[in-house]
Amino acid sequence: MKSLEELASLREKLKKDMSIREQGHEIKVTVSMGTCGIAAGAREIVKALLEELKEQGLNGISLTQTSCAGLCHYEPMLEISQGSEKTTYVKIDGNKAREIVKKHLVGGKVVEEWTAR
Amino acid sequence: MEELSQHILDVAFNSLEAGADRLEITVSENILINLLQIEVRDNGRGISPADIPRVMDPFYTTKKEKRVGLGIPLFREAVERCGGIFEIKPAPQAGTVVTATFPHDHLDRAPLGDIAGTITVLMAGNTPLRLIYRHRYNEKIFSFDTKDFQSLLGEDIPLRSPEVLVWMGKHLVENIANLKEADTLEKFGRTG
Repeated sequence: MKSLEELASLREKLKKDMSIREQGHEIKVTVSMGTCGIAAGAREIVKALLEELKEQGLNGISLTQTSCAGLCHYEPMLEISQGSEKTTYVKIDGNKAREIVKKHLVGGKVVEEWTAR
Repeated sequence: MEELSQHILDVAFNSLEAGADRLEITVSENILINLLQIEVRDNGRGISPADIPRVMDPFYTTKKEKRVGLGIPLFREAVERCGGIFEIKPAPQAGTVVTATFPHDHLDRAPLGDIAGTITVLMAGNTPLRLIYRHRYNEKIFSFDTKDFQSLLGEDIPLRSPEVLVWMGKHLVENIANLKEADTLEKFGRTG
């Protein structure tokens, strides 16, 4: 165990954070995790998303995974959905994933050049 | 795939799609007998003996949106090119067991790679999931069970929150590295 004290302080911090945010999971980020996605780097995308969501304090966003969508040449792909609005980002990498968190999820602006056209 | 841990992620994701909510992933490295064995055991809907040869066929899939199923054939190829053994069996109670056995020192064997990343990513996208990871290195073993981790964390804290998962990933990296480091020091008789 890294350290039980460290885990205890993390638990206390998260309890505080949870009482601050009670907005539900209205924003969903989905990463394709089929064989094609994994081979193209989907695992690194999820790791980068987790790190950036942590950096930005976005613990309330729902991060999910789906299987191959049949668009293997676009992998790695991620989709952000909020209500009926959906944006699909294609051929992304770890750095782009971090930028998408900052610009789209925090800044509210779609990064058009990385979306499917 | 560049790493065996990516194949593990792929097989485990198949398990989740087969309805599993419990996964046991075991990596056993024994340098002394030159063996690397990977086992992924799930409690999903299982596999019939008749279907086992079919899933080895790249042109067989149960999915409707595509016509190929490359995951298992690619993993099998990664094992067999090293003269290893790849097996899929129904688990005794329910579910499936996938086992890949390699000669540890084979030049064509892909590296295990970022296994901590694989475990973290599996936890990130799938709930409820109990994941048990065991890593044996010669005589030593590291075990991680998300049920125990959740108890330590407190039942009211979501395991899937980014802050927890990033911490968990680092914890796994550190402990797996320690497993190997301790062995190296012992082997060379170093004390400080």
